[in-house]
Amino acid sequence: MADDQVPEVQAPARPTRHAKYPWPEPASSAVLGKPTSRIDGPVKVSGRAKYTYDINRPGMLHGRILRSPHAHARLVSLDLSAAQKAPGVKVVLGMLEPGKKAMYQGDEIAALAAVTEQQANDALRLIKAEYEVLPHIALETLAMRDAAPAVFEGGNIKEGDVEQTGDVDAGFKAAAHIVEASYSTQVQTHVCLETKGTVCEWEGDKLTAWVSTQAVHGSREAFAEALGIPQANVRVICEYMGGGFGSKFGPDAQGIVCAKLAKQAGAPVKLMLDRKEEHLAGGNRPSSGSKIKAGVAADGTLTAFDALSWGTGGAGVGAGFPLPYIYTFPNRRRRHRDVYTNAGPARAMRAPGHPQGCFSTEMLMDELADKVRMDPVAFRLKNLPEEAPNRMWRKYFPIAAEKAGWTRRHPTGDPTPGPVKRGMGCAANQWGGGGRGTKAHVDILPDGGVVVRCGTQDLGTGCRTIVTMVAAETLGLPIEAVKAEIGDSNYPFSGGSGGSTTSASVTPAIRVTTGKAFDALAARIAPKMGVEPAALVAKEGRIFPKDTPAKGLAWKEACRLLGTEPVSVDGDWEAGLSASGTSGVQIAEVEVDVDTGVTRVHKIVCVQDCGLVLDPKTATTQCYGGIIMGVNWALFEDRILDRNTGQMVNPNMEWYHLGGMSDIPEMDVTLVNQPERGVIGIGEPPTVSTAAAISNAVANAIGVRIRSLPLTPDKVLNALAQQRAGGTL
Amino acid sequence: MAPKDDSTAAPPVDETGVNVSRRAFLKTVGVTGVAAGVIAGPETEAQAAGPAPLGPGEVPITLTIDGKPFKLSVEPRVTLLDAMRDRLDKTGLKRVCDRGSCGACTAIIDGRTAYTCSMLAIEAQGKDIRTIAGLSEGTALHPVQQAIVDHDGTMCGFCTPGFVMASIALLEKHPKPTVEQVRAGLDGNICRCGTYKGLLEAVLEGKKGVTRG
Repeated sequence: MADDQVPEVQAPARPTRHAKYPWPEPASSAVLGKPTSRIDGPVKVSGRAKYTYDINRPGMLHGRILRSPHAHARLVSLDLSAAQKAPGVKVVLGMLEPGKKAMYQGDEIAALAAVTEQQANDALRLIKAEYEVLPHIALETLAMRDAAPAVFEGGNIKEGDVEQTGDVDAGFKAAAHIVEASYSTQVQTHVCLETKGTVCEWEGDKLTAWVSTQAVHGSREAFAEALGIPQANVRVICEYMGGGFGSKFGPDAQGIVCAKLAKQAGAPVKLMLDRKEEHLAGGNRPSSGSKIKAGVAADGTLTAFDALSWGTGGAGVGAGFPLPYIYTFPNRRRRHRDVYTNAGPARAMRAPGHPQGCFSTEMLMDELADKVRMDPVAFRLKNLPEEAPNRMWRKYFPIAAEKAGWTRRHPTGDPTPGPVKRGMGCAANQWGGGGRGTKAHVDILPDGGVVVRCGTQDLGTGCRTIVTMVAAETLGLPIEAVKAEIGDSNYPFSGGSGGSTTSASVTPAIRVTTGKAFDALAARIAPKMGVEPAALVAKEGRIFPKDTPAKGLAWKEACRLLGTEPVSVDGDWEAGLSASGTSGVQIAEVEVDVDTGVTRVHKIVCVQDCGLVLDPKTATTQCYGGIIMGVNWALFEDRILDRNTGQMVNPNMEWYHLGGMSDIPEMDVTLVNQPERGVIGIGEPPTVSTAAAISNAVANAIGVRIRSLPLTPDKVLNALAQQRAGGTL
Repeated sequence: MAPKDDSTAAPPVDETGVNVSRRAFLKTVGVTGVAAGVIAGPETEAQAAGPAPLGPGEVPITLTIDGKPFKLSVEPRVTLLDAMRDRLDKTGLKRVCDRGSCGACTAIIDGRTAYTCSMLAIEAQGKDIRTIAGLSEGTALHPVQQAIVDHDGTMCGFCTPGFVMASIALLEKHPKPTVEQVRAGLDGNICRCGTYKGLLEAVLEGKKGVTRG
């Protein structure tokens, strides 16, 4: 099972400004805040970027894992002998001890390494694994039945505590209207295009591991612990990686066994999961279900909320999510249960829990708004928490409404004749972000070169680019003059890229360290320039005394005064440059064809903050990416298990659907810059509210509410048929 | 369309005019003189006039990739994609779904886009194979590649080479594509990060300066 690290940072919503190296004001920034193209764009578009999957080492073997075909089975015996003798095979290792149980289709049984991948695949079929097939639970609905087989030690269901505030009964008595409804969302897999895996190579007792990971230092720690070797003997490299979305925090079982295969074979081994393995065993976003009763007063004020919720994170993993989400229910009660099923264990997936909580709550909000006949945006404004730097929805809803043309929105049910119905819906989102301990190193070389090193990673987020931008800004240089080196555990420590904490962790460390590097440079060259070090500033490619700019030198000339010894400085993250807490809203406009049941998202309007925006270009792209992931979750994705066999029906990319270019809506993104708050993080917030807004828009379009995701055509058609047959809205 | 053993019958063809009979397939891969361990049966007897089947062990082949010939040995079941990535260290095109569902392995073969994960290396002999590596010299970028960088149409980058090849093929066929043509032309490529907007803008802009090879 994966070692999840979802960093959570508690930082103030608005920090005290850093004393020595604060961010420059936007008006006086030379580089920061300007749209900047990705530094690693060229190597990616040319195919030159080397990902873990691309690493080919001399004498490298290919590793493959044998996995349980059964959802729940005891491994009776494991005979590796035939595989060991197969052509090209160098090592075969058991991963599950006979007598122990496989808990889901895809659970690891054994692994081997052979000279070619073809030989490895052939040899895998020669491993004789005998199973005692046991009763399994495929779906959470089955797990919650009394007749469910006892599969998990300690029970199939883990009941949480009741969370309570105020007096729920009184709240319902005060309600003029009550809504009772159930909502559900499906399991979603990460579908990183680059699957998980590693290339492991030993030199004596030192391990070099190329890992497709969002945590190079975390992976180093995990290898060392699992293999019983010193961390100092492990180097993890991840210069480029093909997507993480929360699923790649450590080497996992496949990485550890790859290292073991390599050690025993005395040769490097590449072991990458294939697409089926990735779907089965690579993690997922848990499902969610909630049965909610809520009350609203005649004037539209929320009075009460009572919910039972559940979800499955597969075999032994929880499925929690925030509920209710954002809005102020003064009297509320909620109980949640984690339901275990024989399915691939869940992992953190982009904004864990929030899309589920947002969907359930925002659909409920529209139903309550309907009861009091209030416009959904007006209804929300009435029930949002008080405004604060990290709670800006009261400001963002009107902005989004204006951009979306919200006044065009008709009441529930598009009256336009014809099969295509249009509708609009809205939803709000919140997230944490914030930064924590990160180290960096900066070299200023006598030839004017600048090298910045940090053991962080760029998942496609643009991290490498903002590292470069921050250093360039601090030294008054163009970005071309700075070399950023990341993705190596030999570089200074940085945490995993999770929780949207990377920017807020890394960039303060870069700012501080580069600032200190400049101070060190100034201390060395000021005497040679005949000035005090404190007088020197770096701007527009020159170093000069603040009061007499003409007496300065060009950057390269100034650095030459260093002689042979470079400036070489280590630094740390410091407070005063980052904060926690983001807010945003989204409005969706959709078209639903009531004859085919097909939903097309026409447009998404997104208003989102993330503190100080360092690179509006890459930050906006993060919003597009999050929105598209939300569209996919709303309409297409579904990890479908056969209820009888517990096998995944669609462990591929032809039946696990992701939208293509024709499915992508128009996207209008407004990034609200909050420079006074410092850097916060943007990776997760924009994916939270998209599906909720779409669902509300679909209900607005067709006049019937579908309370579960994905909004597939069959559900739309069934809901419409039920309505015609006399069902209620 | 079932292949016929009668050599006087008209050869079956697919919608592009390619001869899809088994006899024609074996003819295209050519006689390379490697003894096969294939069990002979009545069908093979009927084709005794044709070349011997290849494999199952490794067979020597020559692939023409980005204008250069490469000699290598692969089992017949190895895909063109895997042959390029594993045997020739040409890792620009990526393996993502391995079943022709996502486009990350897209190359331009004899002027048409193809999913290299769904083509055997031995099938690709004698064909003009254009990959991502052949598009740019050193660090200079093709205009479409530069446009993708400018419009931020790449994030993790794993889908990008496939999209670039699909875009090039589209622009060579439709130098001034409409938005709908770009969408349809690139619908065979999937991006999980969600770079579609930047890619669309880049391809609409990249129509200037598209050159062959």
